[in-house]
Amino acid sequence: MLKGSLKITYTFCLGGLAFTAFMLLAASGLLLLFYYQPSPEEAFHSILFLESSVWGGRYLRSLHRLTSHCFLALIFLHTLRVVLTGAYRKPRELNWLIGFALLCLSIFAAYTGYLLPMDQLSLWATQTGMELVNSTFFGRVVTGILVPDGVGQPLSLLRFYILHIMLMPLSVLLLSFLHFYRIRKDKGVLPYL
Amino acid sequence: MEKLDRSRRKFIGALISLAAGFLLLGKFLSPNVGRKKTLLAVEKASIPVHGALVYRETRVAVIREAGEIYALSLVCTHLGCSVTVTPRELVCPCHGSVFDRRGNVVKGPADRPLMRYAVEDQGDRIVVAM
Repeated sequence: MLKGSLKITYTFCLGGLAFTAFMLLAASGLLLLFYYQPSPEEAFHSILFLESSVWGGRYLRSLHRLTSHCFLALIFLHTLRVVLTGAYRKPRELNWLIGFALLCLSIFAAYTGYLLPMDQLSLWATQTGMELVNSTFFGRVVTGILVPDGVGQPLSLLRFYILHIMLMPLSVLLLSFLHFYRIRKDKGVLPYL
Repeated sequence: MEKLDRSRRKFIGALISLAAGFLLLGKFLSPNVGRKKTLLAVEKASIPVHGALVYRETRVAVIREAGEIYALSLVCTHLGCSVTVTPRELVCPCHGSVFDRRGNVVKGPADRPLMRYAVEDQGDRIVVAM
Protein backbone atom coordinates (compact mmCIF):
# COMPACT_ATOMS: atom_id res chain seq x y z
CA MET A 1 0.00 0.00 0.00
CA LEU A 2 1.27 3.45 -0.79
CA LYS A 3 1.91 5.43 2.36
CA GLY A 4 0.61 8.65 0.83
CA SER A 5 -2.76 6.98 0.23
CA LEU A 6 -3.36 6.69 3.96
CA LYS A 7 -3.51 10.42 4.55
CA ILE A 8 -6.84 11.76 5.75
CA THR A 9 -6.48 14.65 3.30
CA TYR A 10 -7.03 12.23 0.44
CA THR A 11 -10.75 11.70 1.19
CA PHE A 12 -11.41 13.88 4.27
CA CYS A 13 -13.80 11.04 5.15
CA LEU A 14 -16.54 13.07 3.51
CA GLY A 15 -18.67 10.06 2.69
CA GLY A 16 -18.38 8.76 6.23
CA LEU A 17 -19.33 12.18 7.59
CA ALA A 18 -22.32 12.27 5.27
CA PHE A 19 -23.47 8.87 6.54
CA THR A 20 -23.01 10.06 10.13
CA ALA A 21 -25.23 13.03 9.30
CA PHE A 22 -27.75 10.60 7.81
CA MET A 23 -27.86 8.56 11.01
CA LEU A 24 -28.29 11.73 13.04
CA LEU A 25 -31.17 12.70 10.72
CA ALA A 26 -32.78 9.30 11.22
CA ALA A 27 -32.51 9.54 15.02
CA SER A 28 -33.84 13.10 15.29
CA GLY A 29 -36.51 12.44 12.67
CA LEU A 30 -37.71 9.39 14.59
CA LEU A 31 -38.24 11.56 17.65
CA LEU A 32 -40.00 14.26 15.62
CA LEU A 33 -42.48 11.60 14.45
CA PHE A 34 -43.90 11.49 17.96
CA TYR A 35 -45.36 14.97 17.49
CA TYR A 36 -45.84 15.63 13.78
CA GLN A 37 -49.36 15.27 12.34
CA PRO A 38 -49.51 14.90 8.55
CA SER A 39 -52.74 16.76 7.81
CA PRO A 40 -53.00 20.23 6.28
CA GLU A 41 -54.97 21.61 9.24
CA GLU A 42 -52.81 20.13 11.98
CA ALA A 43 -49.31 20.12 10.48
CA PHE A 44 -48.32 23.70 11.29
CA HIS A 45 -50.02 23.58 14.69
CA SER A 46 -48.15 20.43 15.59
CA ILE A 47 -44.90 22.21 14.74
CA LEU A 48 -45.87 25.17 16.93
CA PHE A 49 -46.81 22.79 19.73
CA LEU A 50 -43.52 20.94 19.37
CA GLU A 51 -41.58 24.19 19.58
CA SER A 52 -43.52 25.75 22.44
CA SER A 53 -44.63 22.94 24.76
CA VAL A 54 -42.20 20.08 24.30
CA TRP A 55 -38.95 19.89 26.20
CA GLY A 56 -36.13 20.01 23.64
CA GLY A 57 -38.61 20.18 20.77
CA ARG A 58 -37.24 23.32 19.22
CA TYR A 59 -33.68 22.07 19.60
CA LEU A 60 -34.52 18.75 18.00
CA ARG A 61 -36.28 20.34 15.06
CA SER A 62 -33.40 22.77 14.47
CA LEU A 63 -30.99 19.87 14.71
CA HIS A 64 -32.93 17.92 12.09
CA ARG A 65 -33.04 20.89 9.76
CA LEU A 66 -29.40 21.92 10.16
CA THR A 67 -28.21 18.33 9.84
CA SER A 68 -30.13 17.99 6.60
CA HIS A 69 -28.29 21.01 5.22
CA CYS A 70 -24.98 19.51 6.35
CA PHE A 71 -25.93 16.15 4.85
CA LEU A 72 -26.49 17.62 1.41
CA ALA A 73 -23.35 19.77 1.60
CA LEU A 74 -21.25 16.76 2.62
CA ILE A 75 -22.64 14.60 -0.18
CA PHE A 76 -21.86 17.32 -2.70
CA LEU A 77 -18.32 17.70 -1.36
CA HIS A 78 -17.92 13.92 -1.42
CA THR A 79 -19.02 13.88 -5.06
CA LEU A 80 -16.59 16.68 -5.83
CA ARG A 81 -13.75 14.72 -4.19
CA VAL A 82 -14.63 11.62 -6.19
CA VAL A 83 -14.61 13.62 -9.40
CA LEU A 84 -11.37 15.45 -8.63
CA THR A 85 -9.44 12.33 -7.62
CA GLY A 86 -10.85 10.35 -10.53
CA ALA A 87 -12.30 7.70 -8.24
CA TYR A 88 -15.24 7.14 -10.60
CA ARG A 89 -12.93 5.36 -13.07
CA LYS A 90 -12.54 1.63 -13.56
CA PRO A 91 -13.04 -0.52 -11.49
CA ARG A 92 -15.41 1.71 -9.52
CA GLU A 93 -17.99 2.64 -12.20
CA LEU A 94 -20.81 0.79 -10.45
CA ASN A 95 -20.13 2.52 -7.14
CA TRP A 96 -20.08 5.87 -8.90
CA LEU A 97 -23.57 5.16 -10.25
CA ILE A 98 -24.80 4.05 -6.82
CA GLY A 99 -23.33 7.19 -5.32
CA PHE A 100 -25.02 9.36 -7.90
CA ALA A 101 -28.35 7.67 -7.15
CA LEU A 102 -27.74 8.39 -3.46
CA LEU A 103 -27.12 12.05 -4.27
CA CYS A 104 -30.41 12.30 -6.19
CA LEU A 105 -32.38 10.43 -3.53
CA SER A 106 -31.00 12.69 -0.81
CA ILE A 107 -32.01 15.83 -2.67
CA PHE A 108 -35.49 14.39 -3.19
CA ALA A 109 -35.71 13.41 0.48
CA ALA A 110 -34.82 16.99 1.47
CA TYR A 111 -37.41 18.33 -0.98
CA THR A 112 -40.20 16.16 0.42
CA GLY A 113 -39.25 17.15 3.96
CA TYR A 114 -39.42 20.82 3.06
CA LEU A 115 -43.20 20.76 2.59
CA LEU A 116 -43.99 19.04 5.89
CA PRO A 117 -44.09 22.10 8.23
CA MET A 118 -46.80 23.58 5.95
CA ASP A 119 -45.80 27.18 6.54
CA GLN A 120 -45.87 29.76 3.76
CA LEU A 121 -42.24 29.23 2.77
CA SER A 122 -42.51 25.47 2.45
CA LEU A 123 -45.86 25.57 0.66
CA TRP A 124 -44.75 27.99 -2.04
CA ALA A 125 -41.31 26.46 -2.40
CA THR A 126 -42.96 23.11 -3.08
CA GLN A 127 -45.43 24.78 -5.41
CA THR A 128 -42.66 26.30 -7.52
CA GLY A 129 -40.76 23.02 -7.48
CA MET A 130 -43.78 21.17 -8.79
CA GLU A 131 -44.28 23.78 -11.52
CA LEU A 132 -40.66 23.24 -12.55
CA VAL A 133 -41.31 19.51 -12.80
CA ASN A 134 -44.48 20.25 -14.80
CA SER A 135 -42.44 22.05 -17.44
CA THR A 136 -40.42 18.91 -18.21
CA PHE A 137 -41.37 16.21 -20.69
CA PHE A 138 -42.97 13.66 -18.35
CA GLY A 139 -43.71 16.32 -15.76
CA ARG A 140 -47.49 15.94 -15.74
CA VAL A 141 -47.22 12.22 -14.98
CA VAL A 142 -44.80 12.85 -12.10
CA THR A 143 -46.83 15.62 -10.50
CA GLY A 144 -49.99 13.57 -11.02
CA ILE A 145 -48.47 10.90 -8.80
CA LEU A 146 -46.77 13.20 -6.30
CA VAL A 147 -49.51 15.81 -5.85
CA PRO A 148 -52.80 14.28 -7.07
CA ASP A 149 -54.90 17.00 -5.41
CA GLY A 150 -52.55 19.97 -5.54
CA VAL A 151 -49.69 21.07 -3.27
CA GLY A 152 -50.72 21.38 0.38
CA GLN A 153 -53.87 19.27 0.05
CA PRO A 154 -54.41 16.20 2.26
CA LEU A 155 -53.42 13.48 -0.22
CA SER A 156 -50.29 15.20 -1.47
CA LEU A 157 -49.13 16.06 2.06
CA LEU A 158 -49.60 12.42 3.07
CA ARG A 159 -47.61 11.27 0.03
CA PHE A 160 -44.75 13.66 0.77
CA TYR A 161 -44.86 12.50 4.38
CA ILE A 162 -44.61 8.79 3.61
CA LEU A 163 -41.89 9.47 1.02
CA HIS A 164 -39.95 11.54 3.54
CA ILE A 165 -40.15 9.29 6.57
CA MET A 166 -40.23 5.85 4.95
CA LEU A 167 -39.36 5.36 1.31
CA MET A 168 -36.50 7.83 0.90
CA PRO A 169 -34.66 6.94 4.15
CA LEU A 170 -35.02 3.21 3.43
CA SER A 171 -33.71 3.55 -0.12
CA VAL A 172 -30.83 5.74 1.03
CA LEU A 173 -29.96 3.21 3.74
CA LEU A 174 -30.10 0.22 1.39
CA LEU A 175 -28.08 1.94 -1.32
CA SER A 176 -25.57 3.12 1.31
CA PHE A 177 -24.96 -0.45 2.41
CA LEU A 178 -24.55 -1.46 -1.21
CA HIS A 179 -22.15 1.49 -1.59
CA PHE A 180 -20.07 0.33 1.38
CA TYR A 181 -20.13 -3.28 0.19
CA ARG A 182 -18.84 -2.18 -3.21
CA ILE A 183 -15.99 -0.25 -1.56
CA ARG A 184 -14.76 -3.48 -0.02
CA LYS A 185 -15.26 -5.43 -3.26
CA ASP A 186 -13.23 -2.75 -5.07
CA LYS A 187 -10.46 -3.21 -2.49
CA GLY A 188 -10.92 0.05 -0.61
CA VAL A 189 -11.33 3.68 -1.57
CA LEU A 190 -7.64 4.29 -2.09
CA PRO A 191 -6.02 3.82 -5.44
CA TYR A 192 -3.11 1.53 -6.33
CA LEU A 193 -3.40 -1.11 -3.67
CA MET B 1 -6.96 -7.67 36.17
CA GLU B 2 -6.50 -4.27 34.65
CA LYS B 3 -8.51 -5.32 31.63
CA LEU B 4 -11.37 -6.46 33.83
CA ASP B 5 -11.41 -3.14 35.67
CA ARG B 6 -11.67 -1.16 32.49
CA SER B 7 -14.54 -3.22 31.13
CA ARG B 8 -16.44 -2.75 34.39
CA ARG B 9 -15.92 1.00 34.14
CA LYS B 10 -17.20 0.93 30.59
CA PHE B 11 -20.23 -1.08 31.67
CA ILE B 12 -21.10 1.41 34.41
CA GLY B 13 -20.58 4.28 32.00
CA ALA B 14 -22.90 2.63 29.51
CA LEU B 15 -25.52 2.08 32.21
CA ILE B 16 -25.37 5.71 33.30
CA SER B 17 -25.63 7.06 29.76
CA LEU B 18 -28.50 4.67 29.05
CA ALA B 19 -30.36 5.89 32.13
CA ALA B 20 -29.70 9.52 31.18
CA GLY B 21 -30.90 8.81 27.66
CA PHE B 22 -34.15 7.30 28.91
CA LEU B 23 -34.62 10.24 31.28
CA LEU B 24 -34.24 12.78 28.46
CA LEU B 25 -36.47 10.72 26.17
CA GLY B 26 -39.15 10.59 28.85
CA LYS B 27 -38.91 14.32 29.27
CA PHE B 28 -39.25 14.83 25.51
CA LEU B 29 -42.27 12.54 25.39
CA SER B 30 -44.20 14.32 28.16
CA PRO B 31 -45.34 17.70 26.80
CA ASN B 32 -47.20 20.23 28.94
CA VAL B 33 -50.70 20.00 27.60
CA GLY B 34 -53.36 22.14 29.18
CA ARG B 35 -51.82 21.95 32.63
CA LYS B 36 -53.01 25.37 33.77
CA LYS B 37 -51.51 26.83 36.88
CA THR B 38 -54.09 27.96 39.39
CA LEU B 39 -53.26 31.43 40.65
CA LEU B 40 -56.10 32.14 43.07
CA ALA B 41 -59.29 30.71 44.49
CA VAL B 42 -61.64 33.43 45.76
CA GLU B 43 -65.02 33.28 47.51
CA LYS B 44 -67.47 35.10 45.31
CA ALA B 45 -69.08 36.82 48.30
CA SER B 46 -65.78 38.42 49.26
CA ILE B 47 -65.56 40.47 46.08
CA PRO B 48 -67.26 43.83 46.64
CA VAL B 49 -69.86 45.00 44.11
CA HIS B 50 -68.25 47.57 41.78
CA GLY B 51 -65.05 46.85 43.66
CA ALA B 52 -61.88 44.85 43.34
CA LEU B 53 -59.72 42.49 45.32
CA VAL B 54 -56.05 43.23 44.78
CA TYR B 55 -53.40 40.55 45.22
CA ARG B 56 -50.08 42.35 45.23
CA GLU B 57 -47.88 39.26 45.46
CA THR B 58 -49.42 37.44 42.51
CA ARG B 59 -50.05 40.79 40.76
CA VAL B 60 -53.72 40.09 40.03
CA ALA B 61 -56.86 42.14 40.58
CA VAL B 62 -60.20 40.33 40.73
CA ILE B 63 -62.81 42.87 39.70
CA ARG B 64 -66.60 42.72 39.90
CA GLU B 65 -68.21 45.11 37.47
CA ALA B 66 -71.86 45.13 36.40
CA GLY B 67 -72.43 41.55 37.58
CA GLU B 68 -69.39 40.26 35.73
CA ILE B 69 -66.27 38.99 37.47
CA TYR B 70 -62.94 39.12 35.71
CA ALA B 71 -59.27 39.00 36.64
CA LEU B 72 -56.74 41.50 35.35
CA SER B 73 -53.00 41.11 35.45
CA LEU B 74 -51.44 44.06 37.26
CA VAL B 75 -48.32 43.91 35.10
CA CYS B 76 -48.17 47.15 33.11
CA THR B 77 -47.94 46.38 29.39
CA HIS B 78 -45.40 49.17 28.98
CA LEU B 79 -42.40 48.02 31.00
CA GLY B 80 -43.83 45.64 33.56
CA CYS B 81 -44.30 47.68 36.75
CA SER B 82 -47.19 46.79 39.04
CA VAL B 83 -50.12 49.13 38.43
CA THR B 84 -52.01 50.68 41.36
CA VAL B 85 -55.73 50.01 41.59
CA THR B 86 -57.82 53.11 42.41
CA PRO B 87 -61.64 53.25 42.56
CA ARG B 88 -61.88 54.67 39.04
CA GLU B 89 -58.85 53.44 37.17
CA LEU B 90 -55.57 51.57 37.27
CA VAL B 91 -52.47 53.77 37.25
CA CYS B 92 -48.89 52.75 36.68
CA PRO B 93 -46.50 54.52 39.08
CA CYS B 94 -43.49 54.16 36.82
CA HIS B 95 -44.40 56.10 33.66
CA GLY B 96 -47.97 57.18 34.29
CA SER B 97 -49.92 54.83 32.03
CA VAL B 98 -53.60 54.83 32.92
CA PHE B 99 -56.02 51.96 32.32
CA ASP B 100 -59.77 51.93 32.87
CA ARG B 101 -61.38 49.27 35.09
CA ARG B 102 -61.73 46.90 32.16
CA GLY B 103 -57.98 47.11 31.50
CA ASN B 104 -58.14 49.22 28.34
CA VAL B 105 -55.54 51.92 27.85
CA VAL B 106 -56.75 55.43 28.70
CA LYS B 107 -53.38 57.13 28.56
CA GLY B 108 -49.96 55.94 27.34
CA PRO B 109 -47.10 55.15 27.17
CA ALA B 110 -48.58 51.64 27.41
CA ASP B 111 -50.22 50.70 24.12
CA ARG B 112 -51.86 47.34 24.90
CA PRO B 113 -54.63 46.57 27.38
CA LEU B 114 -53.80 44.73 30.60
CA MET B 115 -53.71 40.95 30.25
CA ARG B 116 -56.77 39.04 31.40
CA TYR B 117 -56.62 35.71 33.19
CA ALA B 118 -59.17 32.98 32.63
CA VAL B 119 -61.76 32.93 35.41
CA GLU B 120 -63.54 29.67 36.14
CA ASP B 121 -66.89 29.84 37.92
CA GLN B 122 -67.23 27.07 40.52
CA GLY B 123 -70.54 27.96 42.15
CA ASP B 124 -69.84 30.07 45.22
CA ARG B 125 -66.21 30.65 44.40
CA ILE B 126 -64.08 31.43 41.39
CA VAL B 127 -60.68 30.12 40.34
CA VAL B 128 -58.19 32.28 38.44
CA ALA B 129 -55.88 30.24 36.23
CA MET B 130 -52.86 31.17 34.18
